[in-house]
Amino acid sequence: MSDSYVIIGDGIAGASAAETLRQEAPDAEITVLTDEGESLYNRILIKEYAKGKLPEAPISIHQESWYDDHDVDLRLNTVVVDIDVANDAVHTHEGETFEYDSLLLAVGGTPQQLPVDNSDADGIHHFWTFQDARNIKESVEDAERAVIVGAGLLGIDFAAICGAQDVEAKYLMRGDAWWRYALSEEGAEIMHEAMRERGVDPVFDSGVDHFEVDDDGHVEAAVDPNGERYECDFAGVAIGLNFNTELVEDTSIETENGIVVDEFMRTTVDNVYAAGDITTFNDLVLGEQAKNGSWGSAKEQGTIAARNMLEYGSDEFEWVSSYSITHFDFPFLSFGHPTIGDESVEATTAEGEWRRVALKDGKVVGGVLIGDLSPQSAFKQLMREGRDVSDQTDLLMEPGFSVDDLAAATEQQ
Amino acid sequence: MSLRESNRRMRLRRTGIIPADARVRHYDELGEETQVTVRELAGRPRTAPEADDLDDGDVVKFTDYYEVRAR
Repeated sequence: MSDSYVIIGDGIAGASAAETLRQEAPDAEITVLTDEGESLYNRILIKEYAKGKLPEAPISIHQESWYDDHDVDLRLNTVVVDIDVANDAVHTHEGETFEYDSLLLAVGGTPQQLPVDNSDADGIHHFWTFQDARNIKESVEDAERAVIVGAGLLGIDFAAICGAQDVEAKYLMRGDAWWRYALSEEGAEIMHEAMRERGVDPVFDSGVDHFEVDDDGHVEAAVDPNGERYECDFAGVAIGLNFNTELVEDTSIETENGIVVDEFMRTTVDNVYAAGDITTFNDLVLGEQAKNGSWGSAKEQGTIAARNMLEYGSDEFEWVSSYSITHFDFPFLSFGHPTIGDESVEATTAEGEWRRVALKDGKVVGGVLIGDLSPQSAFKQLMREGRDVSDQTDLLMEPGFSVDDLAAATEQQ
Repeated sequence: MSLRESNRRMRLRRTGIIPADARVRHYDELGEETQVTVRELAGRPRTAPEADDLDDGDVVKFTDYYEVRAR
């Protein structure tokens, strides 16, 4: 009898695990359960669909025929309601039971709702699934004025969508800059200006105290904590994710802002693994537990998890992630963990080009590049090598920086 | 056909029309070497050696949409 593998979640983490399992274990029984109504799609591109820039078709990655062709049992619209780790089984909302030899949890997260009055009104959107993107596109196309909340990497997608759909928007931010934990005001101002050029007006030291709705329950305004009222017929809220750990709450699987896994993607239960946004993983590059929500990281984690489900200890997850914003006529890229560290260096390297590198104990742990992405590979290499650059941080800010520059400087000392 | 196998050179041509049957790749999906190539070719009349994760006819989303042409 062949081994059976159950994967919960058909995002890129779950799907890459299924692909790897099929490739490396041709006889395995593989079942993929997803609560969504469609198979794997490109989550990075759904914002382009909502902007009206892309048709639906190219966003799909796996047609349902892919699962048939690869002998993978795909169950759409299937909600797992219980995981029984003692008996190696999962139970679904329709009363079905799937037994497993090894289980992968690629269950991701759910967008957080603002804890304010009327935050669930019609016209207030969160952005996570392809269906969310369809709803957003339909709603924003009829909108004239919008409010955006959430000054981070997901919130700016709403800004770009409003800009692309010619909707005037107020982007309400609690602090004095967009993504203030990773950017200084100087870097953030480049992003603010790009937003303004698209009709999206950043509003600082603001936020939402409550939403007002019309008689039909549709949002008509956001009121900030200062009492300022911003009329809107569309609101986009992107303040973070709640990780979907409820499923394992009654099990011995450890959670800590997600599901805790080791560098082999194994949870605290021997035959249960996790991958993707849901994981709090042992980051071998950083030397401590970390989280990562990027596409590349999730794909790699799914692959690594599958290999270790087949043979534990066979492959470690060691990865430096990056995430780009391509909404504007200049590129933006964050890499590693730009919001942590004990010091940072930053510089404007040319007009419209800015960079910031975060360091911890003298080592690069992350950063942000705006305009010029050319040092991306060099900074990632420094992270992977764990190189101490504390005496040479000025070199990191040189235009055209490469790792060889550090070596040359070291030799001259 | 893979560009690597064919040994062709590639360029990126800005495009505003995305066919429904096109394979669209976002910059973040590409390997680091291909990302370097995309940055060098996007918006410039240059060519570069094959990239192993892009094919002729693919569309790349970077700061704009670019169609991959391989000759």
